[in-house]
Amino acid sequence: MTTPTAPAGPSRARRIAALVGAETRLLLRNRTALVNSVALPLLLVAFVPLVGDVGGRGLVGTAVVVTLVFLTYYNLVTTYVARREDLVLQRLRTGELSGPEVLLATAVPTLLVTAGQVVLLAAGIAVLGRWTAPVDVVLPLLAVVLGAALMVVLATASTLFTRTPESAQITTLPVVVGATALSGLFFPLTALPEALATVARLLPLTPVVELLQLGLAGRTWDGAAVAGADLYGAALVPLAVLVAWLLGAGALTARAFRWAPRR
Amino acid sequence: MQPAPTRSGTGATAAPPAVEVADLRRAYGDFEAVRGVSFEVHPGEVFALLGVNGAGKTSALEVLEGLARPSGGTVRVLGADPVADRARVRPHLGVLLQSSGLPGDLTVAEVVRAWAGTLTAPREPAEALAQVGLTGRADVRVRSLSGGERRRLDLAMALLGRPRVVVLDEPTTGLDPESRRQVWRLVAGLVDDGAAVVLTTHHLEEAEELADRIAVLKAGRVVLAGTQEEIAETQPATIRFTLDPGTPAPPVPDAVEVVEAGPRVDWRTRSLQPVLAELLAWAARHGVVLRALQARAASLEQAFLAVADAD
Repeated sequence: MTTPTAPAGPSRARRIAALVGAETRLLLRNRTALVNSVALPLLLVAFVPLVGDVGGRGLVGTAVVVTLVFLTYYNLVTTYVARREDLVLQRLRTGELSGPEVLLATAVPTLLVTAGQVVLLAAGIAVLGRWTAPVDVVLPLLAVVLGAALMVVLATASTLFTRTPESAQITTLPVVVGATALSGLFFPLTALPEALATVARLLPLTPVVELLQLGLAGRTWDGAAVAGADLYGAALVPLAVLVAWLLGAGALTARAFRWAPRR
Repeated sequence: MQPAPTRSGTGATAAPPAVEVADLRRAYGDFEAVRGVSFEVHPGEVFALLGVNGAGKTSALEVLEGLARPSGGTVRVLGADPVADRARVRPHLGVLLQSSGLPGDLTVAEVVRAWAGTLTAPREPAEALAQVGLTGRADVRVRSLSGGERRRLDLAMALLGRPRVVVLDEPTTGLDPESRRQVWRLVAGLVDDGAAVVLTTHHLEEAEELADRIAVLKAGRVVLAGTQEEIAETQPATIRFTLDPGTPAPPVPDAVEVVEAGPRVDWRTRSLQPVLAELLAWAARHGVVLRALQARAASLEQAFLAVADAD
Protein backbone atom coordinates (compact mmCIF):
# COMPACT_ATOMS: atom_id res chain seq x y z
CA MET A 1 0.00 0.00 0.00
CA THR A 2 1.42 3.36 -0.89
CA THR A 3 1.80 5.67 2.04
CA PRO A 4 -1.37 7.71 2.19
CA THR A 5 -1.15 11.41 1.89
CA ALA A 6 -3.24 13.34 4.38
CA PRO A 7 -6.36 14.34 2.49
CA ALA A 8 -7.43 17.92 2.75
CA GLY A 9 -9.74 18.19 5.73
CA PRO A 10 -10.92 21.07 7.83
CA SER A 11 -8.21 23.59 8.60
CA ARG A 12 -6.08 23.20 11.69
CA ALA A 13 -7.82 26.18 13.30
CA ARG A 14 -11.28 24.67 12.73
CA ARG A 15 -10.20 21.35 14.19
CA ILE A 16 -8.85 23.03 17.30
CA ALA A 17 -12.04 25.12 17.47
CA ALA A 18 -14.15 21.95 17.58
CA LEU A 19 -12.37 20.86 20.76
CA VAL A 20 -12.34 24.39 22.20
CA GLY A 21 -16.13 24.47 21.77
CA ALA A 22 -16.54 21.29 23.79
CA GLU A 23 -14.14 22.51 26.49
CA THR A 24 -15.94 25.84 26.74
CA ARG A 25 -19.28 24.07 27.13
CA LEU A 26 -17.78 22.04 29.93
CA LEU A 27 -16.55 25.17 31.68
CA LEU A 28 -19.97 26.82 31.37
CA ARG A 29 -21.56 23.72 32.95
CA ASN A 30 -19.11 23.76 35.87
CA ARG A 31 -20.74 26.20 38.33
CA THR A 32 -17.82 26.27 40.77
CA ALA A 33 -15.35 27.20 38.07
CA LEU A 34 -17.71 29.83 36.69
CA VAL A 35 -18.31 31.46 40.06
CA ASN A 36 -14.57 31.48 40.76
CA SER A 37 -13.89 33.07 37.39
CA VAL A 38 -16.16 36.00 38.13
CA ALA A 39 -15.73 36.25 41.90
CA LEU A 40 -11.93 36.46 41.94
CA PRO A 41 -11.58 39.69 39.92
CA LEU A 42 -14.55 41.27 41.72
CA LEU A 43 -12.89 40.46 45.02
CA LEU A 44 -9.61 41.97 43.83
CA VAL A 45 -11.37 45.14 42.70
CA ALA A 46 -13.10 45.34 46.07
CA PHE A 47 -9.68 45.51 47.71
CA VAL A 48 -8.61 48.45 45.58
CA PRO A 49 -9.99 51.18 47.89
CA LEU A 50 -8.21 49.50 50.81
CA VAL A 51 -4.82 49.73 49.16
CA GLY A 52 -3.78 53.29 49.67
CA ASP A 53 -0.70 54.52 47.89
CA VAL A 54 0.07 51.79 45.37
CA GLY A 55 -1.68 53.66 42.62
CA GLY A 56 -3.68 52.37 39.68
CA ARG A 57 -0.64 51.17 37.73
CA GLY A 58 0.55 49.00 40.59
CA LEU A 59 -2.93 47.61 41.04
CA VAL A 60 -3.24 46.57 37.41
CA GLY A 61 0.17 44.92 37.53
CA THR A 62 -0.64 43.06 40.73
CA ALA A 63 -4.01 41.98 39.38
CA VAL A 64 -2.50 40.64 36.16
CA VAL A 65 0.11 38.55 37.98
CA VAL A 66 -2.34 37.28 40.59
CA THR A 67 -4.75 36.27 37.81
CA LEU A 68 -2.03 34.55 35.79
CA VAL A 69 -0.81 32.52 38.76
CA PHE A 70 -3.96 31.70 40.70
CA LEU A 71 -6.36 31.39 37.81
CA THR A 72 -4.42 30.50 34.67
CA TYR A 73 -1.60 28.40 36.05
CA TYR A 74 -3.44 26.67 38.89
CA ASN A 75 -6.57 25.98 36.82
CA LEU A 76 -4.55 24.54 33.97
CA VAL A 77 -2.52 22.21 36.19
CA THR A 78 -5.70 20.77 37.73
CA THR A 79 -7.45 20.60 34.34
CA TYR A 80 -4.61 18.81 32.57
CA VAL A 81 -4.12 16.36 35.44
CA ALA A 82 -7.87 15.67 35.72
CA ARG A 83 -8.12 15.06 31.96
CA ARG A 84 -5.13 12.76 32.10
CA GLU A 85 -6.41 10.75 35.07
CA ASP A 86 -9.90 10.51 33.49
CA LEU A 87 -8.24 9.05 30.35
CA VAL A 88 -9.63 11.91 28.26
CA LEU A 89 -6.18 12.97 27.03
CA GLN A 90 -5.34 9.40 26.01
CA ARG A 91 -8.49 9.25 23.90
CA LEU A 92 -7.72 12.61 22.27
CA ARG A 93 -4.27 11.21 21.40
CA THR A 94 -6.00 8.53 19.29
CA GLY A 95 -7.58 11.24 17.13
CA GLU A 96 -6.18 13.47 14.45
CA LEU A 97 -5.25 16.48 16.59
CA SER A 98 -1.55 16.67 17.41
CA GLY A 99 -0.36 16.72 21.02
CA PRO A 100 0.30 20.49 21.12
CA GLU A 101 -3.12 21.10 19.53
CA VAL A 102 -4.85 19.06 22.24
CA LEU A 103 -2.99 20.92 25.00
CA LEU A 104 -3.72 24.30 23.43
CA ALA A 105 -7.42 23.57 22.89
CA THR A 106 -7.74 22.45 26.50
CA ALA A 107 -6.14 25.70 27.66
CA VAL A 108 -8.17 28.11 25.53
CA PRO A 109 -11.26 28.48 27.79
CA THR A 110 -9.00 29.26 30.75
CA LEU A 111 -7.03 31.74 28.64
CA LEU A 112 -10.26 33.43 27.56
CA VAL A 113 -11.37 33.74 31.17
CA THR A 114 -7.93 35.16 32.01
CA ALA A 115 -8.27 37.81 29.32
CA GLY A 116 -11.81 38.61 30.48
CA GLN A 117 -10.62 39.02 34.05
CA VAL A 118 -7.76 41.33 33.14
CA VAL A 119 -10.19 43.54 31.19
CA LEU A 120 -12.74 43.40 34.02
CA LEU A 121 -10.10 44.39 36.56
CA ALA A 122 -8.82 47.28 34.49
CA ALA A 123 -12.41 48.45 34.01
CA GLY A 124 -13.11 48.14 37.75
CA ILE A 125 -10.02 50.16 38.60
CA ALA A 126 -11.02 52.80 36.03
CA VAL A 127 -14.54 52.97 37.48
CA LEU A 128 -13.06 53.56 40.91
CA GLY A 129 -11.10 56.47 39.45
CA ARG A 130 -7.70 54.87 40.03
CA TRP A 131 -6.71 54.40 36.41
CA THR A 132 -3.48 56.00 35.17
CA ALA A 133 -2.46 55.70 31.52
CA PRO A 134 0.54 53.39 31.03
CA VAL A 135 3.89 54.72 29.84
CA ASP A 136 4.02 52.10 27.07
CA VAL A 137 1.42 49.70 25.63
CA VAL A 138 3.63 47.11 23.97
CA LEU A 139 5.49 45.93 27.07
CA PRO A 140 2.40 45.28 29.23
CA LEU A 141 0.76 43.43 26.33
CA LEU A 142 3.91 41.36 25.88
CA ALA A 143 3.92 40.67 29.60
CA VAL A 144 0.30 39.42 29.50
CA VAL A 145 0.64 37.37 26.31
CA LEU A 146 4.04 35.82 27.07
CA GLY A 147 3.05 35.47 30.73
CA ALA A 148 -0.08 33.54 29.76
CA ALA A 149 1.94 31.34 27.40
CA LEU A 150 4.40 30.71 30.22
CA MET A 151 1.56 29.69 32.54
CA VAL A 152 0.45 27.09 29.96
CA VAL A 153 3.88 25.47 29.62
CA LEU A 154 4.60 25.72 33.35
CA ALA A 155 1.25 23.95 33.88
CA THR A 156 2.02 21.18 31.37
CA ALA A 157 5.47 20.76 32.94
CA SER A 158 3.94 20.69 36.44
CA THR A 159 1.71 17.74 35.48
CA LEU A 160 4.90 15.66 35.34
CA PHE A 161 5.05 15.61 39.15
CA THR A 162 1.31 15.97 39.91
CA ARG A 163 -0.47 12.63 40.35
CA THR A 164 -4.02 13.88 41.07
CA PRO A 165 -5.93 17.15 40.72
CA GLU A 166 -5.97 17.39 44.53
CA SER A 167 -2.20 17.07 44.83
CA ALA A 168 -1.92 20.15 42.60
CA GLN A 169 -2.51 22.13 45.81
CA ILE A 170 0.98 21.04 46.88
CA THR A 171 2.81 20.71 43.57
CA THR A 172 1.89 24.23 42.44
CA LEU A 173 3.33 25.83 45.60
CA PRO A 174 6.81 26.48 44.14
CA VAL A 175 5.24 28.73 41.51
CA VAL A 176 2.21 29.99 43.43
CA VAL A 177 4.12 30.86 46.60
CA GLY A 178 7.84 30.77 45.80
CA ALA A 179 8.09 32.42 42.42
CA THR A 180 5.28 34.87 43.20
CA ALA A 181 6.76 36.01 46.52
CA LEU A 182 10.16 36.62 44.91
CA SER A 183 8.78 38.26 41.77
CA GLY A 184 9.13 41.83 43.03
CA LEU A 185 5.37 42.13 43.18
CA PHE A 186 4.97 42.38 46.93
CA PHE A 187 8.30 43.99 47.84
CA PRO A 188 11.08 45.46 45.69
CA LEU A 189 13.87 43.01 44.96
CA THR A 190 16.38 45.70 46.00
CA ALA A 191 15.43 44.82 49.58
CA LEU A 192 17.22 41.48 49.05
CA PRO A 193 20.99 40.89 49.18
CA GLU A 194 22.42 41.39 45.70
CA ALA A 195 23.10 37.71 45.00
CA LEU A 196 19.60 36.72 46.05
CA ALA A 197 18.08 39.54 44.01
CA THR A 198 19.91 38.24 40.94
CA VAL A 199 18.55 34.76 41.54
CA ALA A 200 15.05 36.18 42.07
CA ARG A 201 15.27 37.96 38.71
CA LEU A 202 15.81 34.60 37.06
CA LEU A 203 12.60 33.10 38.49
CA PRO A 204 9.72 32.65 36.02
CA LEU A 205 7.33 35.35 37.29
CA THR A 206 9.87 38.11 37.91
CA PRO A 207 10.26 39.01 34.22
CA VAL A 208 6.47 39.29 33.89
CA VAL A 209 6.40 41.73 36.83
CA GLU A 210 9.40 43.63 35.47
CA LEU A 211 7.85 44.03 32.02
CA LEU A 212 4.57 45.19 33.58
CA GLN A 213 6.32 47.76 35.79
CA LEU A 214 8.43 48.98 32.88
CA GLY A 215 5.44 49.38 30.60
CA LEU A 216 2.89 50.66 33.08
CA ALA A 217 5.08 52.94 35.23
CA GLY A 218 8.40 53.24 33.38
CA ARG A 219 10.32 51.85 36.35
CA THR A 220 13.03 49.21 36.27
CA TRP A 221 13.26 46.40 38.82
CA ASP A 222 15.55 48.50 41.04
CA GLY A 223 13.27 51.54 40.93
CA ALA A 224 15.09 53.65 38.32
CA ALA A 225 12.85 55.68 36.03
CA VAL A 226 13.42 55.06 32.31
CA ALA A 227 11.77 56.32 29.14
CA GLY A 228 11.98 56.05 25.38
CA ALA A 229 14.58 53.69 23.93
CA ASP A 230 15.95 52.96 27.42
CA LEU A 231 12.60 51.41 28.25
CA TYR A 232 13.13 48.72 25.63
CA GLY A 233 16.77 48.36 26.54
CA ALA A 234 15.75 47.63 30.12
CA ALA A 235 13.19 45.14 28.84
CA LEU A 236 15.79 42.92 27.14
CA VAL A 237 16.90 41.02 30.24
CA PRO A 238 13.38 40.16 31.51
CA LEU A 239 12.32 39.24 27.95
CA ALA A 240 15.31 36.92 27.65
CA VAL A 241 14.56 35.29 31.01
CA LEU A 242 10.89 34.87 30.06
CA VAL A 243 11.71 33.31 26.69
CA ALA A 244 14.25 31.00 28.35
CA TRP A 245 11.57 29.76 30.75
CA LEU A 246 9.11 29.31 27.87
CA LEU A 247 11.62 27.25 25.89
CA GLY A 248 12.76 25.27 28.92
CA ALA A 249 9.29 24.33 30.16
CA GLY A 250 8.17 23.72 26.57
CA ALA A 251 11.10 21.39 25.90
CA LEU A 252 10.49 19.51 29.15
CA THR A 253 6.81 19.10 28.18
CA ALA A 254 7.68 17.90 24.68
CA ARG A 255 10.10 15.34 26.12
CA ALA A 256 8.27 13.98 29.11
CA PHE A 257 4.56 14.89 29.10
CA ARG A 258 2.45 11.90 30.11
CA TRP A 259 -0.86 11.43 28.30
CA ALA A 260 -2.04 8.55 30.44
CA PRO A 261 -1.97 7.83 34.19
CA ARG A 262 0.93 5.85 35.58
CA ARG A 263 0.04 2.21 35.88
CA MET B 1 4.32 -16.97 13.05
CA GLN B 2 3.00 -18.50 9.89
CA PRO B 3 2.88 -16.48 6.69
CA ALA B 4 -0.30 -14.57 6.03
CA PRO B 5 -2.62 -16.25 3.57
CA THR B 6 -2.66 -14.19 0.43
CA ARG B 7 -6.24 -13.30 -0.23
CA SER B 8 -5.74 -11.21 -3.27
CA GLY B 9 -3.48 -13.50 -5.28
CA THR B 10 -0.36 -12.25 -6.99
CA GLY B 11 0.45 -9.66 -9.58
CA ALA B 12 -0.73 -6.12 -9.93
CA THR B 13 -3.91 -6.61 -7.89
CA ALA B 14 -2.15 -8.02 -4.81
CA ALA B 15 -2.97 -5.79 -1.86
CA PRO B 16 0.03 -5.11 0.34
CA PRO B 17 -0.61 -5.53 4.07
CA ALA B 18 -2.36 -2.67 5.83
CA VAL B 19 -0.53 -3.52 9.04
CA GLU B 20 2.99 -4.95 9.21
CA VAL B 21 4.52 -5.84 12.56
CA ALA B 22 8.03 -7.28 12.57
CA ASP B 23 9.83 -8.53 15.67
CA LEU B 24 8.04 -5.99 17.86
CA ARG B 25 9.44 -5.55 21.36
CA ARG B 26 8.34 -3.34 24.22
CA ALA B 27 10.13 -3.01 27.52
CA TYR B 28 9.18 -1.20 30.71
CA GLY B 29 12.45 -0.83 32.54
CA ASP B 30 13.77 -4.35 33.04
CA PHE B 31 10.46 -5.99 32.19
CA GLU B 32 9.90 -6.92 28.56
CA ALA B 33 6.12 -7.03 27.96
CA VAL B 34 6.33 -7.78 24.23
CA ARG B 35 9.18 -10.07 23.13
CA GLY B 36 9.41 -10.27 19.36
CA VAL B 37 5.92 -10.36 17.88
CA SER B 38 5.37 -10.40 14.11
CA PHE B 39 2.19 -10.39 12.06
CA GLU B 40 0.54 -8.85 9.03
CA VAL B 41 -3.05 -7.81 8.46
CA HIS B 42 -4.43 -7.27 4.97
CA PRO B 43 -7.32 -5.06 3.87
CA GLY B 44 -10.61 -6.90 4.36
CA GLU B 45 -9.18 -9.13 7.06
CA VAL B 46 -9.76 -9.47 10.82
CA PHE B 47 -6.78 -10.42 12.93
CA ALA B 48 -7.36 -11.34 16.59
CA LEU B 49 -4.77 -11.27 19.36
CA LEU B 50 -5.71 -13.62 22.17
CA GLY B 51 -4.05 -14.09 25.50
CA VAL B 52 -4.62 -14.03 29.22
CA ASN B 53 -4.30 -10.72 31.07
CA GLY B 54 -0.72 -9.50 31.06
CA ALA B 55 0.18 -11.41 27.91
CA GLY B 56 1.23 -8.15 26.21
CA LYS B 57 -1.78 -7.58 23.93
CA THR B 58 -2.44 -3.95 24.92
CA SER B 59 1.28 -3.14 25.00
CA ALA B 60 1.59 -4.40 21.42
CA LEU B 61 -1.51 -2.51 20.25
CA GLU B 62 -0.28 0.77 21.75
CA VAL B 63 2.56 0.72 19.24
CA LEU B 64 0.14 0.17 16.33
CA GLU B 65 -1.97 3.02 17.68
CA GLY B 66 1.06 5.32 17.67
CA LEU B 67 0.72 5.89 21.42
CA ALA B 68 4.06 4.31 22.25
CA ARG B 69 7.37 3.67 20.53
CA PRO B 70 8.64 0.10 20.35
CA SER B 71 11.88 -0.75 22.13
CA GLY B 72 12.69 -2.99 19.17
CA GLY B 73 11.35 -4.09 15.79
CA THR B 74 9.19 -2.16 13.37
CA VAL B 75 5.51 -1.40 12.92
CA ARG B 76 4.02 -0.04 9.69
CA VAL B 77 0.41 1.04 9.29
CA LEU B 78 -0.52 1.66 5.64
CA GLY B 79 3.21 1.59 4.98
CA ALA B 80 4.03 4.38 7.42
CA ASP B 81 5.40 4.63 10.95
CA PRO B 82 2.44 5.40 13.26
CA VAL B 83 4.57 7.66 15.49
CA ALA B 84 6.92 9.41 13.04
CA ASP B 85 4.30 9.72 10.26
CA ARG B 86 1.44 10.34 12.67
CA ALA B 87 -0.17 13.08 10.60
CA ARG B 88 -0.40 10.81 7.54
CA VAL B 89 -1.52 7.66 9.38
CA ARG B 90 -4.08 9.19 11.77
CA PRO B 91 -6.82 10.12 9.29
CA HIS B 92 -7.04 6.45 8.26
CA LEU B 93 -6.73 4.87 11.69
CA GLY B 94 -9.65 4.15 14.04
CA VAL B 95 -8.72 3.25 17.61
CA LEU B 96 -10.85 1.84 20.39
CA LEU B 97 -8.81 1.81 23.59
CA GLN B 98 -9.46 -0.75 26.31
CA SER B 99 -10.62 2.13 28.45
CA SER B 100 -10.72 5.83 27.76
CA GLY B 101 -12.51 8.80 29.20
CA LEU B 102 -15.07 11.28 28.08
CA PRO B 103 -16.13 14.47 29.84
CA GLY B 104 -19.23 13.40 31.77
CA ASP B 105 -20.97 16.78 31.53
CA LEU B 106 -21.32 16.72 27.73
CA THR B 107 -24.16 14.95 25.95
CA VAL B 108 -23.65 12.04 23.59
CA ALA B 109 -24.43 14.22 20.56
CA GLU B 110 -22.09 17.01 21.73
CA VAL B 111 -19.21 14.59 22.22
CA VAL B 112 -19.67 13.02 18.80
CA ARG B 113 -20.05 16.38 17.03
CA ALA B 114 -16.91 17.75 18.68
CA TRP B 115 -14.96 14.63 17.72
CA ALA B 116 -16.26 14.82 14.16
CA GLY B 117 -15.06 18.42 14.03
CA THR B 118 -11.48 17.27 14.61
CA LEU B 119 -11.53 14.65 11.82
CA THR B 120 -10.65 14.92 8.14
CA ALA B 121 -13.57 12.99 6.63
CA PRO B 122 -16.09 12.23 9.36
CA ARG B 123 -19.28 10.22 9.02
CA GLU B 124 -22.55 11.98 9.85
CA PRO B 125 -22.75 12.01 13.67
CA ALA B 126 -26.41 10.92 13.56
CA GLU B 127 -25.55 8.01 11.28
CA ALA B 128 -22.67 6.98 13.56
CA LEU B 129 -24.97 6.97 16.60
CA ALA B 130 -27.62 4.98 14.72
CA GLN B 131 -25.01 2.34 13.84
CA VAL B 132 -24.37 1.61 17.51
CA GLY B 133 -28.01 1.96 18.57
CA LEU B 134 -27.57 5.20 20.52
CA THR B 135 -29.92 7.43 18.52
CA GLY B 136 -32.41 7.62 21.40
CA ARG B 137 -29.64 8.59 23.84
CA ALA B 138 -28.20 11.52 21.83
CA ASP B 139 -29.28 14.17 24.35
CA VAL B 140 -28.24 12.23 27.45
CA ARG B 141 -25.15 13.33 29.34
CA VAL B 142 -22.25 10.90 29.04
CA ARG B 143 -22.19 10.62 32.85
CA SER B 144 -25.65 9.00 32.80
CA LEU B 145 -24.86 6.27 30.25
CA SER B 146 -24.62 2.62 31.27
CA GLY B 147 -21.29 0.83 30.84
CA GLY B 148 -22.49 -0.87 27.67
CA GLU B 149 -23.76 2.42 26.21
CA ARG B 150 -20.38 4.04 26.97
CA ARG B 151 -18.63 1.24 25.14
CA ARG B 152 -20.86 1.64 22.10
CA LEU B 153 -20.21 5.40 22.14
CA ASP B 154 -16.46 4.66 22.27
CA LEU B 155 -16.91 2.46 19.22
CA ALA B 156 -18.95 5.07 17.33
CA MET B 157 -16.11 7.57 17.91
CA ALA B 158 -13.43 5.09 16.84
CA LEU B 159 -15.27 4.52 13.55
CA LEU B 160 -16.33 8.14 12.99
CA GLY B 161 -13.45 8.97 10.65
CA ARG B 162 -14.17 6.12 8.16
CA PRO B 163 -10.89 4.37 9.04
CA ARG B 164 -9.10 1.94 6.70
CA VAL B 165 -7.29 0.37 9.63
CA VAL B 166 -9.23 -0.31 12.83
CA VAL B 167 -7.64 -1.30 16.14
CA LEU B 168 -10.10 -2.57 18.75
CA ASP B 169 -8.84 -3.41 22.23
CA GLU B 170 -11.46 -5.66 23.84
CA PRO B 171 -14.36 -4.12 21.92
CA THR B 172 -17.16 -6.08 23.61
CA THR B 173 -15.99 -6.33 27.21
CA GLY B 174 -18.91 -5.33 29.43
CA LEU B 175 -21.52 -5.60 26.67
CA ASP B 176 -24.69 -7.66 26.91
CA PRO B 177 -25.11 -10.45 24.33
CA GLU B 178 -27.39 -8.38 22.09
CA SER B 179 -24.97 -5.41 21.99
CA ARG B 180 -22.12 -7.80 21.40
CA ARG B 181 -23.83 -9.16 18.29
CA GLN B 182 -24.45 -5.60 17.14
CA VAL B 183 -20.72 -4.88 17.44
CA TRP B 184 -19.91 -8.08 15.55
CA ARG B 185 -22.19 -7.01 12.71
CA LEU B 186 -20.49 -3.60 12.66
CA VAL B 187 -17.04 -5.18 12.45
CA ALA B 188 -18.20 -7.53 9.69
CA GLY B 189 -19.50 -4.50 7.80
CA LEU B 190 -16.14 -2.72 8.17
CA VAL B 191 -14.35 -5.71 6.71
CA ASP B 192 -16.78 -5.96 3.81
CA ASP B 193 -15.89 -2.35 3.05
CA GLY B 194 -12.22 -3.32 2.90
CA ALA B 195 -10.96 -2.21 6.30
CA ALA B 196 -8.19 -4.11 8.06
CA VAL B 197 -9.17 -4.91 11.65
CA VAL B 198 -6.90 -5.86 14.55
CA LEU B 199 -8.67 -6.79 17.76
CA THR B 200 -7.96 -8.29 21.14
CA THR B 201 -10.51 -10.24 23.07
CA HIS B 202 -11.03 -12.49 26.06
CA HIS B 203 -13.99 -14.15 24.42
CA LEU B 204 -12.91 -17.07 22.29
CA GLU B 205 -16.31 -17.19 20.63
CA GLU B 206 -15.70 -13.60 19.50
CA ALA B 207 -12.45 -14.62 17.82
CA GLU B 208 -14.24 -17.63 16.28
CA GLU B 209 -17.03 -15.41 14.99
CA LEU B 210 -14.90 -12.59 13.60
CA ALA B 211 -11.27 -13.49 13.05
CA ASP B 212 -9.77 -14.71 9.81
CA ARG B 213 -6.49 -15.32 11.59
CA ILE B 214 -5.55 -15.52 15.24
CA ALA B 215 -2.37 -15.22 17.26
CA VAL B 216 -2.23 -16.39 20.86
CA LEU B 217 0.15 -14.34 22.98
CA LYS B 218 1.71 -15.59 26.13
CA ALA B 219 4.25 -13.63 28.19
CA GLY B 220 4.91 -11.35 25.23
CA ARG B 221 5.47 -14.08 22.64
CA VAL B 222 3.25 -15.61 19.94
CA VAL B 223 2.79 -19.21 21.01
CA LEU B 224 0.14 -20.17 18.44
CA ALA B 225 -0.84 -18.55 15.18
CA GLY B 226 -2.91 -19.28 12.12
CA THR B 227 -6.52 -19.74 11.14
CA GLN B 228 -8.94 -21.14 13.71
CA GLU B 229 -8.68 -24.56 12.06
CA GLU B 230 -4.90 -24.50 12.08
CA ILE B 231 -4.84 -23.55 15.73
CA ALA B 232 -7.45 -26.12 16.71
CA GLU B 233 -5.50 -28.83 14.87
CA THR B 234 -2.62 -28.40 17.30
CA GLN B 235 -4.78 -30.30 19.80
CA PRO B 236 -6.12 -33.86 19.43
CA ALA B 237 -9.73 -34.56 18.52
CA THR B 238 -12.13 -36.21 20.95
CA ILE B 239 -14.26 -39.36 20.51
CA ARG B 240 -16.77 -40.23 23.24
CA PHE B 241 -19.41 -42.95 23.56
CA THR B 242 -21.03 -45.16 26.17
CA LEU B 243 -21.13 -48.95 26.04
CA ASP B 244 -24.08 -50.97 27.32
CA PRO B 245 -23.26 -53.37 30.21
CA GLY B 246 -21.90 -56.67 28.96
CA THR B 247 -20.76 -55.27 25.65
CA PRO B 248 -17.14 -56.14 24.73
CA ALA B 249 -14.79 -53.17 24.64
CA PRO B 250 -13.56 -52.15 21.17
CA PRO B 251 -9.89 -52.62 20.34
CA VAL B 252 -7.94 -49.41 20.87
CA PRO B 253 -6.27 -48.17 17.66
CA ASP B 254 -2.61 -47.11 17.81
CA ALA B 255 -3.38 -43.45 17.22
CA VAL B 256 -5.59 -43.19 20.31
CA GLU B 257 -4.80 -41.97 23.77
CA VAL B 258 -7.35 -43.39 26.22
CA VAL B 259 -8.69 -40.96 28.79
CA GLU B 260 -11.49 -43.24 30.02
CA ALA B 261 -11.81 -46.91 29.04
CA GLY B 262 -15.45 -47.64 29.87
CA PRO B 263 -18.32 -47.98 30.24
CA ARG B 264 -18.11 -44.31 29.26
CA VAL B 265 -15.30 -44.19 26.75
CA ASP B 266 -13.23 -41.06 26.13
CA TRP B 267 -10.48 -41.11 23.48
CA ARG B 268 -8.09 -38.50 22.11
CA THR B 269 -6.62 -38.82 18.64
CA ARG B 270 -4.86 -36.81 15.98
CA SER B 271 -6.31 -39.04 13.22
CA LEU B 272 -10.00 -38.56 13.81
CA GLN B 273 -11.32 -39.83 10.50
CA PRO B 274 -9.46 -43.21 10.24
CA VAL B 275 -9.94 -43.94 13.97
CA LEU B 276 -13.64 -43.20 13.73
CA ALA B 277 -13.99 -45.34 10.59
CA GLU B 278 -12.24 -48.22 12.36
CA LEU B 279 -14.50 -47.85 15.40
CA LEU B 280 -17.71 -47.74 13.36
CA ALA B 281 -16.64 -50.74 11.29
CA TRP B 282 -15.93 -52.70 14.50
CA ALA B 283 -19.34 -51.71 15.95
CA ALA B 284 -21.13 -52.76 12.76
CA ARG B 285 -19.32 -56.08 12.64
CA HIS B 286 -20.18 -56.92 16.24
CA GLY B 287 -23.62 -55.33 16.31
CA VAL B 288 -22.57 -53.01 19.15
CA VAL B 289 -24.49 -49.83 19.84
CA LEU B 290 -22.27 -46.82 20.64
CA ARG B 291 -24.59 -44.73 22.77
CA ALA B 292 -24.25 -40.91 22.82
CA LEU B 293 -21.50 -41.11 20.22
CA GLN B 294 -19.60 -37.87 19.73
CA ALA B 295 -16.65 -37.19 17.47
CA ARG B 296 -15.25 -33.69 17.56
CA ALA B 297 -12.22 -31.87 16.25
CA ALA B 298 -10.45 -29.80 18.91
CA SER B 299 -11.88 -26.37 19.47
CA LEU B 300 -10.03 -23.05 19.55
CA GLU B 301 -10.84 -22.97 23.26
CA GLN B 302 -9.10 -26.30 23.89
CA ALA B 303 -6.02 -25.12 22.03
CA PHE B 304 -6.07 -21.80 23.86
CA LEU B 305 -6.44 -23.39 27.28
CA ALA B 306 -3.71 -25.91 26.50
CA VAL B 307 -1.15 -23.15 25.85
CA ALA B 308 -2.50 -20.82 28.52
CA ASP B 309 -2.16 -23.53 31.17
CA ALA B 310 1.22 -24.83 30.03
CA ASP B 311 4.29 -23.49 31.80
